[in-house]
Amino acid sequence: MNQWIILFNKEMKEAIRNFKWIWIPLVFILLGIIQPVTSYFLPDILKNFGGFPEGSMLEFPLPTGPQVLAETIGQFGQIGVLVIVLAFMGIVAGERNSGTNIMVLVKPVSYVAYIVSKWLHMSLLAISSFSIGFLLASYYTFQLIESVPISYVIKGAVVYSIWLLFVTTLVLFFSVLFKSNAGVAALTLGITIIISLMSSITPDLLRWSPGMIASHSHSIFQSGEAGEYFWLSISCTIVLIILMIILSIINFKNKETVTHTT
Amino acid sequence: MNEILLELESIPWGLIAPLVIIQLILLVVALVDCFRHNNTNGPQWVWVLVIVFGGIIGPIVYFIFGRRND
Amino acid sequence: MSLIITEQLTKTFNGTSAVDGLNLSIKEGICTALLGPNGAGKTTTLNMLTGLMNPTSGTITFDQRYRGDRRQFIGYLPQYPKFYGWMTGEEYVVYAGQLGGLSKIDATKKTEELLSLVGLDDSKKKRIAGYSGGMKQRLGIAQALVHSPKLIILDEPVSALDPIGRRDVLELMRKLKEKTSILFSTHVLHDAEEICDDIFIVKDGKVVIEGDLVELQRKYQKPTIYLETEESIEYWSHSIKNMDWLRHMQGTKNKLTITVNDIDVAREALLSNETLRKLKITNFEIAKTTLEDLFMEVTAG
Repeated sequence: MNQWIILFNKEMKEAIRNFKWIWIPLVFILLGIIQPVTSYFLPDILKNFGGFPEGSMLEFPLPTGPQVLAETIGQFGQIGVLVIVLAFMGIVAGERNSGTNIMVLVKPVSYVAYIVSKWLHMSLLAISSFSIGFLLASYYTFQLIESVPISYVIKGAVVYSIWLLFVTTLVLFFSVLFKSNAGVAALTLGITIIISLMSSITPDLLRWSPGMIASHSHSIFQSGEAGEYFWLSISCTIVLIILMIILSIINFKNKETVTHTT
Repeated sequence: MNEILLELESIPWGLIAPLVIIQLILLVVALVDCFRHNNTNGPQWVWVLVIVFGGIIGPIVYFIFGRRND
Repeated sequence: MSLIITEQLTKTFNGTSAVDGLNLSIKEGICTALLGPNGAGKTTTLNMLTGLMNPTSGTITFDQRYRGDRRQFIGYLPQYPKFYGWMTGEEYVVYAGQLGGLSKIDATKKTEELLSLVGLDDSKKKRIAGYSGGMKQRLGIAQALVHSPKLIILDEPVSALDPIGRRDVLELMRKLKEKTSILFSTHVLHDAEEICDDIFIVKDGKVVIEGDLVELQRKYQKPTIYLETEESIEYWSHSIKNMDWLRHMQGTKNKLTITVNDIDVAREALLSNETLRKLKITNFEIAKTTLEDLFMEVTAG
């Protein structure tokens, strides 16, 4: 256990020194503030710059609170996920390419601890950034638009966190598998996009899919209740996460730390 | 003229200010890091330009692509 | 007492063996050199000993007295050590010590001690990114020693260094020899002769010569005759090919180096050889070979 803490602390220290613990949360905070603020001003902006004839009686209703929260989640799901994937694409591959992992793995270090501590740190940073960003999004939404029951907000956010964990696990999985950072990022983003798209196009076929999580959290904001087959998709996602972590560890063990050098 | 002033007054600056502050923090942190490190991917001055004139995404692009990992 | 024994250790990359049935026995308390030309499979061997690579076949046995993960008892310095540049030297060694099982307090104490041993006291608070090659090498030795391993394994520890850095590191290794067993690889015989006790000469993934250095030096110090003639000696040299006093022969048109078993018999035979006399001897010299000659002979041939 002690070793897990040492490895985790190293990840933490590194991410503090290279400012990941500053800029990633700030990106989520920005996204969280911008969405409610634009929703609030959008009717004005459209009125003034939309090119509608003077005095036209068009009304632009403010979106509802749950709608704004869902839109914020949408922003997190695109830009936020992009940022997390790009920030962590080298999480395993980077150390292997530079050779710094050799010096660690010749010490009596458990391969499981090495991989899982990286995953834990990455996930903690992602979830923390999302939480603080979403906290601000809710505050702005409550101030500018309308209140939504706190319990709905919290429940929805917790549910959405599981999707973020799925994304961080994908990053880890591909970073163990491939050397190229660009490849890791492309595959992770590609898969998240495909899963999300497929789930919204053919929800009937993909009830189990992690891609349904976002729409479940939307309906929780709306009514406090998740959509149908909620537990199916949540449990499938968790199983997938655990499976990918285990596969990452196995792949990491099987891949030789040192490649052939003369 | 007056209309514009009224418009400006009607904007709730208390809500917008945090955005500006966060943007500033990002800018400063990115610049500090860029100057302190001296090992950027590509010429340093290009990254300074990206950070300063890149708007919100300037510093972020720097953090993702500009730092060489060590 | 052997710390590590390998039996028929083999590593194959895409059908070609880098290490081919290697048998090593590394003794405790002494310094052992793995000597061989580049590409002999030294690094591959060390990587398997440290557990970074899995052997294709063969076994590695660590001393039974030290149970469990053998990485606990091994300190390793790769040929090109790569550190986290964002850490300071001190932080790195403490981190390595903690990974090696020390408590934070013990690791800090040990780090203090080792950094002054390797002469990095002044730069221990600086980021490793700013270290020179020699400093990294010394930091590498400190991190290899931090968990007080039974054996430290150094891969070409001096070959990338300038003469002064080389001297420093060899000096350091001499000091370390007092406290711990050392296994290091090198392609320079001289470095091995300077500090090691046991030597394994490897070539093409196989051990060709092994043993105690002093003994080997004595054993392979064979009497040698250097011959020079005015006329070409090449044709004549075939005539002594099958003499029983001859061990090895090598030469050019007018020069011949003959390693022999019995100097008296050989001298007698050569000086009384009529054909040889007709070639007009200009130089006839008796000397002794060194391990260097042997190493050259073994690795070139």
